[in-house]
Amino acid sequence: MDILTNLAFGFEHALTLQNLMYCAIGCTVGTLVGLLPGLGPLSTISLLLPLTYSIPTAGSLIMLAGIYYGAQYGDSVSAITMRIPHASSIVACIDGYQMTLKGRTGLALFTAGVSSFIGGTVAIVVLATLAPLLGEVAFLFGPADYCALIFLGFVCVSFVTTGSLLNGLAMTLVGVVLGLVGTDVNSGVARFTMDLSFLAEGIGLVSIALGCFGIAEVVKNLDSGEERTPFNGKIKLMPTWPEFKRIIPSALRGSVIGSFLGILPGGGPVIAQFAAYAVDKRFSKYKHEMGDGAIEGVAGQAAADEAAARTSFIPLMSIGIPENAVMALMMAAFIVKGIQPGPTMIADHPDLFWGLVASMWVGNCFLLVLNVPLVRYWLSVFKIPFSVLFPSILFFCCIGTYSINNNLNDIFITALFGFMGYLFMRLGLEAPPLMLGFILGPMLEEYFRRQLLISRGDFSSFLTRPISGTLFAVIAIIIGWQVVAFFLPSRKRKAALLQAEQ
Amino acid sequence: MNNLNLVRGLFLMAIALIFGLTSLKYKLGEFSRAGPGMFPLVVSCLLFLIGLATVVRSRFVKPVPLNYNMRNIALVLIGLCGFAVLSAHLNMIAGIVFLVFCSSFAGASYSVVRNLKISAVLIGIALVFQRFLGLNLPLF
Repeated sequence: MDILTNLAFGFEHALTLQNLMYCAIGCTVGTLVGLLPGLGPLSTISLLLPLTYSIPTAGSLIMLAGIYYGAQYGDSVSAITMRIPHASSIVACIDGYQMTLKGRTGLALFTAGVSSFIGGTVAIVVLATLAPLLGEVAFLFGPADYCALIFLGFVCVSFVTTGSLLNGLAMTLVGVVLGLVGTDVNSGVARFTMDLSFLAEGIGLVSIALGCFGIAEVVKNLDSGEERTPFNGKIKLMPTWPEFKRIIPSALRGSVIGSFLGILPGGGPVIAQFAAYAVDKRFSKYKHEMGDGAIEGVAGQAAADEAAARTSFIPLMSIGIPENAVMALMMAAFIVKGIQPGPTMIADHPDLFWGLVASMWVGNCFLLVLNVPLVRYWLSVFKIPFSVLFPSILFFCCIGTYSINNNLNDIFITALFGFMGYLFMRLGLEAPPLMLGFILGPMLEEYFRRQLLISRGDFSSFLTRPISGTLFAVIAIIIGWQVVAFFLPSRKRKAALLQAEQ
Repeated sequence: MNNLNLVRGLFLMAIALIFGLTSLKYKLGEFSRAGPGMFPLVVSCLLFLIGLATVVRSRFVKPVPLNYNMRNIALVLIGLCGFAVLSAHLNMIAGIVFLVFCSSFAGASYSVVRNLKISAVLIGIALVFQRFLGLNLPLF
């Protein structure tokens, strides 16, 4: 019953006229961003971060969260109609696009919208029950445990977002060293500032985010040089009753998988979609249809996507450690507003926490309306050619950077990081782990130094504590498995070569 | 040198060296009472190891050619820097026009009329930001 009272309290805050408006703005912008190429949730949140300085705390958090989960909704539309994924909807390209080829675009869009709604609703129930519980656990965490958890997050994110542990870890560490630029809080020594006064407070978060995500992404699209052909087909949205009945079980399965995977470190929408698709392929009643336009192939992954996007707020709000790059940016937004996310947040700011949870459900309803009955209007967004779009994106990047400090010099730093982001991209290094490393780096240093201070420089204390010991064991298993996986096939290949020679 | 994996490893090692060698300039302290240089040194060492592993790995896997095209990134960066310089010395409207005209050379097609339209719309948006959101933009 506690949860119901708390949720009612949350809705009281979420349903004020002002917060409703911020929620609607967030969802609309999010959907738009999900549809447009060259702007993902990461760059949009960093663009809008400076604009939220003047908005009340609850409103700005509700809006930024809306952008994130709204972008997950809008994302599947371009995947289904044109087979172009951009933020995360790779899986929707498989069955969703097959349905378009069969002239069932409307049904696919309807399925994606409704399943996302189901996924979001399930995830909010999970969020409301689990976050406070996990918050209790977080009180047991010491500095060593936080270190281990941050490391586990690094390893998992590297592995999930890039597929290559080595490249991902490299990027998180580059992020960590970039995060060290500026004044050391413990000793007051200015580190890596090259005697430049504006670096004393560290490199601007927005500059890094817009450079590595906004500008690098724009140039990537320019380099590929392809103009998209917009979708012009007819759309019939309403499904028949038997079709509708097929959505429900698959969507529920996807929601549960997504909710669970969203909580794990490094988890998030992408891995949840793949898992949900794999499970549907194995257990669905219609598994023989999967791969060439099955409703289940769209429903399960859309629900998992949306569920994971919301439950990934759990580690941030209950433990205080973001588990992926977008959550790291959300954490920056919390801190800008003077709120430290973590176990004490739910107790100290219940109105914010429950208001945000409740607003997610309100946002869910907004998104259902935006994405099901109104989806045909959104499709016209695809008709804007990229040559018109990208100068505007660059303009917004400039304005976003400038307006933080009203300083035009910040634009040069953003441009510099745009170049860095381009280099990283060309070298096959993915930028999201860098963002996580950049934001968690200072925290990692703080906990690392504190733990060594407590244990008088003894490193074994990281392994002997039960929580951190377990987490480090998990990390060791993941890394060991990667090393084995790298050497095993090469040995097989050698054996095959030997055999061929004989 | 035209191997993506090798260049990536060397690049990472270079970053690690820059930060690692600089961190030696700061007080290291002991592990029980770490100085400002300790943590950066540890992280740089880890990064160096990863770079080394990448280089070693590149000997075993098939080389991937490194391809890059400097034209588009250069045009975009010139556009951004020009925007900042013009906004500082002249005004932001000139900056916007320059940004649009310069960066759109990187696009698939080029049209002066379209650029004028885009500039006009962006100037309009900037005006709205200035008047209604209270951003301090040096438009005039």
